[in-house]
Amino acid sequence: MGSQAKAWRVLLLAIATCFPVSFTLPAFAEDGGNLYNTPFDVNAGERYFERQCSRCHGFDARGNDETGAPDLTGRLSRASTDVGIFNILREGIAGTAMLPVSAELPDAQVWQLVAYINSLSDDPANINLPGDAISGARIFSGSADCDSCHMIGGVGGRLGPDLSLVGDRRNPEELMSDLINPDADVNPRWWRLRITDATGQIREGFRMNESSFSIRIMDEADNLWSFRTSEIVDYVRIEESTMPGYAQTLSDSELDDLVAYLFSLRKEN
Amino acid sequence: MNTLNRLLAFCMVFAISFPSLAQEQQFQTVITPAFTPVDWDRLLDARQEPENWLMYSGTLDSQRYSLLDQINTDNVTDLELKWSYQIPVIDRAETVPLVIDGIMFITEAPSNLVAVDAQTGGEYWRYDHELPDDLRICCGRNNRGVAILGETLFMSTLDAHLVAIDARTGNLLWNTEVADHQAGYSKTAAPLIVKDKVITGIAGGEFGIRGFIDAYDPATGELIWRTYTIPGPGEPGNDTWSGDSWATGGAATWITGSYDPETNLTFWGTGNPGPDWNGDVRLGDNLYSDSVMALDADTGELAWHFQFTPHDVHDYDSIQIPILADIEFKGRERKVMMWANRNAFFYTLDRTTGEFLIGKPYATQTWAQGLDDMGRPVRVPGMAPTYEGILVSPPIVGATNWYSPGYSQDTGLFYVTAFDGEQEFFKRDEDYEEGERFTGGGGRYTQPMDAFHSSIRAINPETAEIEWEFPIQPRSSAGITTTAGGLVFTGSADGFFFALDAASGEELWHISLGARVHAAPMTFAVDDQQYVTIASGNVVYTFGLRD
Repeated sequence: MGSQAKAWRVLLLAIATCFPVSFTLPAFAEDGGNLYNTPFDVNAGERYFERQCSRCHGFDARGNDETGAPDLTGRLSRASTDVGIFNILREGIAGTAMLPVSAELPDAQVWQLVAYINSLSDDPANINLPGDAISGARIFSGSADCDSCHMIGGVGGRLGPDLSLVGDRRNPEELMSDLINPDADVNPRWWRLRITDATGQIREGFRMNESSFSIRIMDEADNLWSFRTSEIVDYVRIEESTMPGYAQTLSDSELDDLVAYLFSLRKEN
Repeated sequence: MNTLNRLLAFCMVFAISFPSLAQEQQFQTVITPAFTPVDWDRLLDARQEPENWLMYSGTLDSQRYSLLDQINTDNVTDLELKWSYQIPVIDRAETVPLVIDGIMFITEAPSNLVAVDAQTGGEYWRYDHELPDDLRICCGRNNRGVAILGETLFMSTLDAHLVAIDARTGNLLWNTEVADHQAGYSKTAAPLIVKDKVITGIAGGEFGIRGFIDAYDPATGELIWRTYTIPGPGEPGNDTWSGDSWATGGAATWITGSYDPETNLTFWGTGNPGPDWNGDVRLGDNLYSDSVMALDADTGELAWHFQFTPHDVHDYDSIQIPILADIEFKGRERKVMMWANRNAFFYTLDRTTGEFLIGKPYATQTWAQGLDDMGRPVRVPGMAPTYEGILVSPPIVGATNWYSPGYSQDTGLFYVTAFDGEQEFFKRDEDYEEGERFTGGGGRYTQPMDAFHSSIRAINPETAEIEWEFPIQPRSSAGITTTAGGLVFTGSADGFFFALDAASGEELWHISLGARVHAAPMTFAVDDQQYVTIASGNVVYTFGLRD
């Protein structure tokens, strides 16, 4: 917390003390930053989050498909400023399960919660990477041949995740890990299923969706297939990635360049 | 990868065996890859592959008439629910899904898209469109459907963008801003593919926008042509707006148009002039509001127009789907366009020239004495909104509205969901402010809605006479689909989905879905089984014959 912010807090406290009326920030904030962003505030926000928010968003704030609660550790899709986060906490999001915090909760505590949510993701502007993103872009569609499987901005293959905004959901360490050890963290969407139907026909493809009574895959020719489980006599689930590891094929500096490029793929860029 | 990781990876490769249930199979496995690219020839001949529903209105002529007849007047009582899909965002669904080779594409509120297996409702993928939090929308977070060309889906979004989505994966291919959402523009309707162009309209008629119809390059999202629905200074028709009122005159295009390959014309309805209920600030006919515009599909050039309600002051948008057919009219075959308008008149026009052929009221109306020989309304004096309020029929919601009508090639009848109601109209003085509502008044009902009713009406396009009607309660906003099985499928505001005999209007089957039907049905087939799908509330239901 900077000295200017501290001064503001002192001033606010002084005003609140001088006037014998309840002093609160507007219920729906419109401007001004977060004055409650010390480590103490972040910890207080975390405690509140664990008690009130983690039921839907998870203790790690990485979201929950079942409740529809989004991952809060990357870029937030519905708020780009502290004020935006504050307003969502205060007002909730109509038409979703995101309810407002208690009307009785003081604004100061809401701002602490904002501080905690902010602490979950690093500001990309403060991250200095050793690689060169422009060189990384060349490697992506050149020697590494990434675009034969991955799409960016509508160009590329369908045999891997769309990477158009991968920098919003993966930090540089995770991206490096993805490149050198792709089997470590494979999203279930990219598991493969090898399915044998009642006729003995075998089909293998990426796991697009799996429900209690049916399964859908996309094969390597981009064909979509749907099976009822009652029609399946056998299936194999392969949770490894189809992506090659690049530790042996790219130099350290090339890997750095590639990470810098992938991390630059963010909405604000 | 360390040893432990290798071991874990090995352990994750496991096999699960199911007991052989082949003897219990009720359905065939889909034995061809679901989904093949949809080229222009397929769209042009969409009626010839009735197993698929390839565009919002089924076919380019927008008849919503399917050649499928497995479900018919003899067995429609054997319909049963096959599956349902719950839309996760709570709002009212206005979607008409597409089905292509066993895959159904469903749009959701606010501007999302999901691909599911058309036989089971099981999800393939979904696309969630990120929206700003300062949308300007008049009437709910709606999206009515997508268009497809090749392997790409095209969708309008509430922030007035047009997006292209990969049909196999849901990946975003391009995202084009059509207009500035902060100025009151939004998009809700399914685009129309014509040859190598994505043709699409714009919403925002209650925000003082200037309407237009656009064509985009499907590969890149680049604008190819734009035709404004309000002529600019120096263009013919600009003098039908007093002063600068043309610049904020509305005439939005918020429902999908039609296309006639013989004339290469695409037909789009236009919305109300703005401000809606105060015409004093926009004296004149206000072209081309409340009209149908016939545009050259290659250039966007206006070939002809027909204005249903000149100088509208009741919000009688001509936002209805133009239905095209070749019919016997007074002893000769005519290429016609059929149109039941929000203003309560039914029109048959020559679609090659815009010539007015016949028109009569099909619902209660008090604002016009009738139509003259050119189809122009002869107004009842003193029916414009006032500061004190004046009772007029039809009400603001209209005798019908955006929800799709239907036409049967077997009966030759046009079917529309009609409403007989009335409302007090008020006029107010307002200044235009960008991004704010600009309506100049409003309305109120003087009786409870239960005092009014809707009907499904079957109209003979040659005589403009009502052949039969089926009353429903209360005001309905459901669209209509007809089939070669002799059926008219539609729904009601009190949550029923039902089938009528297309020839007689007799009710043959109904089921309560528990929530308002605010969309139009569509029908398709997979593995030789016909299905019919309808959205009700926030759920998409699919029915088929009992096995």
